[in-house]
Amino acid sequence: MNFAFSDDQTLLRNSARALLDEHCKPEHVRAMQEDARGYGEALWGEMAKLGWLGLPFPEQYGGAGLGLVELALLHEEMGRVAYPGPFLATVVLGGLPLLLGGSAAQKEKWLPAIASGRARLTAALQEDSLDWDPASIAATAERAGAGWTISGVKRFVPWAEAADAVLVPARTPEGVSLFLIDPKAAGVTLRPTIGMDLTTRWSEITLGGVAVGADALVGPAGGGGALLDSALRRAAVCASAEMLGTARRCLDMAVGYAKVREQFGQLIGTFQAIRHKCAEMLMEVENSHSAVYYAAWALEAGADDASVAASICKSYVSDAARRVCGEAIQVHGGIGFTWEYDLHLYFKRAKSLEVQFGDAEYHRELIAKHVASS
Amino acid sequence: MDLNHTPEDIAFRKQVRAWLEQNLPPAPLRSLEERKVWHRKLYEAGYLGMGWPKEYGGQGARPMEQAIVADEMARSGAPAPTNGLGLGIVGPTIVVHGNEWQKKRYLQKILTAEEMWCQLYSEPNSGSDLASLKTSAEDKGDHFVVNGQKIWTSGGKVADWGLLLARTDPKVAKHKGITCFLMPMRQPGVEVRPLKQMTGSSEFCEVFMTGARVEKENQIGRLGEGWGIANTTLGYERGGRSLARISGYSAQYNHLVNAARRLKRQGRPLIESPTVRQRLAKIWADLEVERYNALRVLTQLERGEHPGAGGSLTKLSYSEFEKRFMEVAQEILGAYGQLTDGAPPELALEIDTAVGDQGTWAYAFLWSRAGTIYAGSSEIQKNVIGERILGLPKETRADRAGATR
Repeated sequence: MNFAFSDDQTLLRNSARALLDEHCKPEHVRAMQEDARGYGEALWGEMAKLGWLGLPFPEQYGGAGLGLVELALLHEEMGRVAYPGPFLATVVLGGLPLLLGGSAAQKEKWLPAIASGRARLTAALQEDSLDWDPASIAATAERAGAGWTISGVKRFVPWAEAADAVLVPARTPEGVSLFLIDPKAAGVTLRPTIGMDLTTRWSEITLGGVAVGADALVGPAGGGGALLDSALRRAAVCASAEMLGTARRCLDMAVGYAKVREQFGQLIGTFQAIRHKCAEMLMEVENSHSAVYYAAWALEAGADDASVAASICKSYVSDAARRVCGEAIQVHGGIGFTWEYDLHLYFKRAKSLEVQFGDAEYHRELIAKHVASS
Repeated sequence: MDLNHTPEDIAFRKQVRAWLEQNLPPAPLRSLEERKVWHRKLYEAGYLGMGWPKEYGGQGARPMEQAIVADEMARSGAPAPTNGLGLGIVGPTIVVHGNEWQKKRYLQKILTAEEMWCQLYSEPNSGSDLASLKTSAEDKGDHFVVNGQKIWTSGGKVADWGLLLARTDPKVAKHKGITCFLMPMRQPGVEVRPLKQMTGSSEFCEVFMTGARVEKENQIGRLGEGWGIANTTLGYERGGRSLARISGYSAQYNHLVNAARRLKRQGRPLIESPTVRQRLAKIWADLEVERYNALRVLTQLERGEHPGAGGSLTKLSYSEFEKRFMEVAQEILGAYGQLTDGAPPELALEIDTAVGDQGTWAYAFLWSRAGTIYAGSSEIQKNVIGERILGLPKETRADRAGATR
């Protein structure tokens, strides 16, 4: 039993931190907020070179063959700098379901393209109801000759504008099935929406009878629910890792500020009202670390409690990151509420991830199902 | 990172489990003598003082093996060994800070429970501010004479010896004038009175010392070094019971889920109420996070790293969790949760209390208030975390310089 990172894992984290500290400074994040595409190609190329984009794929697809713990490490570092870009969308939402359920041809086509930085993917997991349960999917796919015709409306699709392909769950007679569609295909309409977190891009996608071939189906017809479940669990853990990164950054900033800010002739860090708040923030950050890396390991190792661990992770960290980032603003006072100070970048990133892939309440109901049935 | 247990640890766990199945006392232990018999059985099996050096009766075992034994005991509902303070605090203090004579004289008898121990730290006016303690030890040439009062002394009633902090130099700054001693409790100058707590039970005592005698050979460490020794002492108990604590919580949690299946509000079982489900799920998530934390602490200990101030984070987290857990338990159980006697078996809680009585939800609820006070209150832990982990500046304190009286 060993809950510490291996030397290789530590090396990966250090190199990620070094690269992101250099290429993803707050100035970069702010520039990308104003940018039409919203992310930098140069940094994307660096990530491809370092093997991050193919991190969880087998070597035969140009990947590094690493696991979810390593993927979580990268996401934590990305959260720490509020990295703007379609990394999670491409590698986790697009790549992992293809890896888990795609055909040989689909994997051959997309995984090396993702790993080399040529292709960006995403998945359209939400509809009007905002229910994360795959059973709630209302979009439909009807057989049309050898292929399918897909119709429906998808909400909050991350980085759809940047994507070369979008995984779309739709209802077929066999149940929920997963399709890979080209967002530039006829019948697909993208409408960007703007959220308060400008480091993440969301779009609404309308599918007006989009015709796809038989080869667009990912996994068996009716097998989309299981694929989505496992993709959602992995995305929930990676999003939690990002939130953990935002929380650590906010805690660091709060502690740093408490060491230099003076009021009433003293450093505010000497006041227990501030110090105890910071101590509670650290406790929540460290507990989040435990929750994230336990769940990442459990999913990777196929542990008995992997599913519930993912829900424990997402529910705990969603609440903790919101609180820690919020309390960091409170420790800073007025300066923390300004646009020019960077805290809100992390606060908003945590907030946008909080509702993705199931919020705390959603996952607590999954936990309740687990404990009530065991 | 690999959270699978090694084949050796799995085999060891099986071995402990098999031993417990064969040796578990058939009925609850009621008397101290029965507890001592059970204690010696555990010792002879090699399950006590496992981390202590072999030459003093220990096993030189790894932290994981100690945690497994405690965990299996918790899972099987085995009674705790007696002499808890001796095993948890006094023994490790002597192992680290005692001289060779002291180790030979005292350690083995702690393990066999031939000599029972208590800890004489807190005083009525020195709780969180322990370093302000007033009990004095006066040098009389070949011995010390001790005067003062201690409080919150667990097991004081049955103790033969006490690990004592006393002031030997009132003229220096308060942290520098304290010395650590081993004091015989069975002497005319020592009077022990049980302290009845809000639980109705008396795990703790008050100890009055009037001209009590401590031989020079029973001074631990050097004069004026007691504060440093006390601070390391408080860190000893962090690892060994980490898994056992979680298994205890899990067993209680399962009882609670069963209760939520039986009890109804508005005609519906509580387990079907969305708000109850949310609360139960939150507690399970928090409980599992504590389990992950325990694995992290054990990893550190296995690598020979001392958690240091990190122990404050661990303690803050689990003691605050325990309070939240017990509050939710009371919400679910309603009036049943408040019964100290006569609860129907399916809604009762069977836990081994600190004094060896069968526990109740009411007792567990009340007792959860103690965890965020003893061994450094949550507020003290947050100060330690702020200063020693986060490096925040120390607060301005009126007592920073100068003597205690």
